[in-house]
Amino acid sequence: METASEVRTDRVPASATIDRKQTKPVATRIWNFLISIKLAIWMIILLAVTSILGTVIQQNQPPEKYRQVYEDWAYNLMNRINLFDMYHSWWFLLLLCLFTLNLTCCTIDRLPRVIRTVRKPRLTIDAAMEKTLSLTERWKHKGDIPQWAETYRSALSGSFAAPKVTEADGSVHLYAEKGVYSRFGAYATHAGIVIVFIGAIIGNVFGFKSYVNIPEGKEASHLDARGGKEHIDLPFSVRNNKFWVETYPNGQPKEYSSDLSVIENGREVLRKTIEVNDPLVYKGIWFYQSSYGQAGPPIVQVSVKKASGEDAGILSLAPNKKREIPGYGTVSAVNFEPNFQGFGPALQVIVEKPNKVPQQFWLLQRFPDSDRQRGDAFTLGFLNIKENFYTGLQVAKDPGVNVVWLGCLLLTAGMMISFFVSHRRIWIRLSPGPHGKVEVTAAGSANRNRPVFEKIFFAILAKIRKDPSKTNKENPA
Amino acid sequence: MNTLNVHLFDLTTLLFGTASVNYVAYLYGKRETLARIGTWICLAAAVVSTVALGVRWAESYQMGIGRIPVTNLYESLVFFAWSVNLFYLLVEWKYKNRTFGAFVIPIAFATMLFALTSESGIHPLVPALQSYWLHAHVITCFVGYAAFTVSAGVAVMYLMKAKREEAKVTGGIVGLFPVSKVLDDLVYRSIIWGFPFLTAGIITGAAWANYAWGTYWSWDPKETWSLIVWLVYAAFLHARITRGWHGRRAAILSIAGFAATIFCYLGVNLILSGLHSYGS
Ligand code: HEM
Repeated sequence: METASEVRTDRVPASATIDRKQTKPVATRIWNFLISIKLAIWMIILLAVTSILGTVIQQNQPPEKYRQVYEDWAYNLMNRINLFDMYHSWWFLLLLCLFTLNLTCCTIDRLPRVIRTVRKPRLTIDAAMEKTLSLTERWKHKGDIPQWAETYRSALSGSFAAPKVTEADGSVHLYAEKGVYSRFGAYATHAGIVIVFIGAIIGNVFGFKSYVNIPEGKEASHLDARGGKEHIDLPFSVRNNKFWVETYPNGQPKEYSSDLSVIENGREVLRKTIEVNDPLVYKGIWFYQSSYGQAGPPIVQVSVKKASGEDAGILSLAPNKKREIPGYGTVSAVNFEPNFQGFGPALQVIVEKPNKVPQQFWLLQRFPDSDRQRGDAFTLGFLNIKENFYTGLQVAKDPGVNVVWLGCLLLTAGMMISFFVSHRRIWIRLSPGPHGKVEVTAAGSANRNRPVFEKIFFAILAKIRKDPSKTNKENPA
Repeated sequence: MNTLNVHLFDLTTLLFGTASVNYVAYLYGKRETLARIGTWICLAAAVVSTVALGVRWAESYQMGIGRIPVTNLYESLVFFAWSVNLFYLLVEWKYKNRTFGAFVIPIAFATMLFALTSESGIHPLVPALQSYWLHAHVITCFVGYAAFTVSAGVAVMYLMKAKREEAKVTGGIVGLFPVSKVLDDLVYRSIIWGFPFLTAGIITGAAWANYAWGTYWSWDPKETWSLIVWLVYAAFLHARITRGWHGRRAAILSIAGFAATIFCYLGVNLILSGLHSYGS
């Protein structure tokens, strides 16, 4: 399957290393080990196999959890070799380093040669090379060489690519190529992989991951610790103006949202409502909606009216805390139901008056006058309940992330080029033959998809041979 | 309410079953007509399942939870079968040979049977899944999976064919297969289609994770397994560069890659735990 040029490039290092072997056998042997594709295959397989371990053994769990599963000796052994955090263990990192070293050395070994063959392509073919190329064709013509060379040159330009023309030993050689950048596809892919690693390292060294919980109406600039670093103080603060949860008709959460403001030097410089999958970014620091919770007890508002209907104010109640209504008694909110017996939101309160049995009853939000039925000196009405949420934000700074994306782009593009672009080459040699004829030899090679190139090659030959035959008749030599 | 799409998927299952029978019967009965009918049935299945996906998508909008139908086990299974079928039809058309059908379409059929046993309701998406990255991620991954499926099916054919060729036996069901060189090439060709798609799938997944919670890679089991699959196929590609890894060994690597793919796709969810557990 390999084309001649592949075979050739594979052979060159062998002879080059023989030269080195005579002087520095050990270093050479190490070098040959480091540049070999065999090592690459084994590294790739080794990485795959070891990666499986970390998916079978749950990672980064608390020790108690492992002790429930494993015997003491097994736990100690596994802990010793970092199996519980294996992707950050020294041996896994060592594997990655060796992999990268292999990739780098392989590139150092091969890339210069590829560049050389691309910049100084083989412009001529000789008999030895013809044998290694499977696509060859020969024919003879009357006429003189320069004239035919010119005819083929323009024909090749039209149907394939403009050829380079060289003269050597009385022969004229044409060389045309297409898709030469296909040769660099694999190197772009490999460079992409290394760039991804570099991006990951930058992120680990110069970035951080953290989180912060901010109650509604509060702001924060101090982040909690996570992974290594103690804590982080931001050069600005973030205020949680409001947090809310939207639900689907069936009650399942649909979206969590926080209305956030960035405050810098006492001024609001940015305001955005974030959702899961829609973070806020300021100065390279990203804030992600990640969780929420109750920041404190909810506050309930209850209206108080005299029996005459005259307003006597609004009370804010914290759960189970008694508040006094002067000249009446105390009231406390003890229970809340979002939908009480189909009547909507309801609040259960206890009213205590001196020397009386406490009264416990429900207030319905939708029926503000329902308390009149008690026939007491004061009536109460449930106005609203305000739950007090905090928003849980994941905070991340990763200056390496764009480097990672760049690497990803490069490696994907390189792959496509390497797979789908073929380096196609056509040589034509015109030599003086017996009886004053011109001997023409054409050869072709492609590093990809050779059956397709074979068709193209013969189609091109048919085309360029047809045109000249016409000119030949018009122009008898 | 959302039963029309499920009925259509049931019909798709039936079509894949019939097509599988046709393709296998073609190998034994050697009647081209059987396989030709198989092709038409597969085309019909492609149409029906595409319509079913569209209907399901529309139904989710009617329910007020509009979303792409690739977000739970049932949907991913039918989408997988859909991709395999389309990729297969493309290969059949390109290679003008219908013997592949017996090795690929039964996989689509089995996938649909498995889908029958899973819960088929349309459920709302949790907030984490509501992202445009989801579309790109799922579609690229599944095209990759489909390509690897075809590759593995052809790899099995290669192994059968190569054995017979070595023994210089002609005829038999293997007689209808393309020559082993063509099969070997197709094993490879499918992979060079699948590999960039899997790569794009992993990258879009990482981009999504980065957008949803600020970490593009967290070594959760699904991510790690997608990397393992990626590495197996990378090993395949490099093994091909060094001589001596064509043919049998390449075919075996392709089958191993497919096994890893299936584990990544289903095994991780059903056996291991992590972020991607469907439905939970
Ligand atoms: C998982 C990591 C890797 C990926 C995804 C990868 C990807 C690729 C791809 C897509 C190609 C082109 C294949 C083809 O033309 O069919 C290639 C070729 C190659 N790879 Fe890798 N590679 C990886 C690791 C390595 C390593 C560690 C080495 C170290 C020696 C290496 C050495 C090579 C060589 C020598 C070629 C052939 C280059 C040429 O055509 O001149 N690869 N690689």
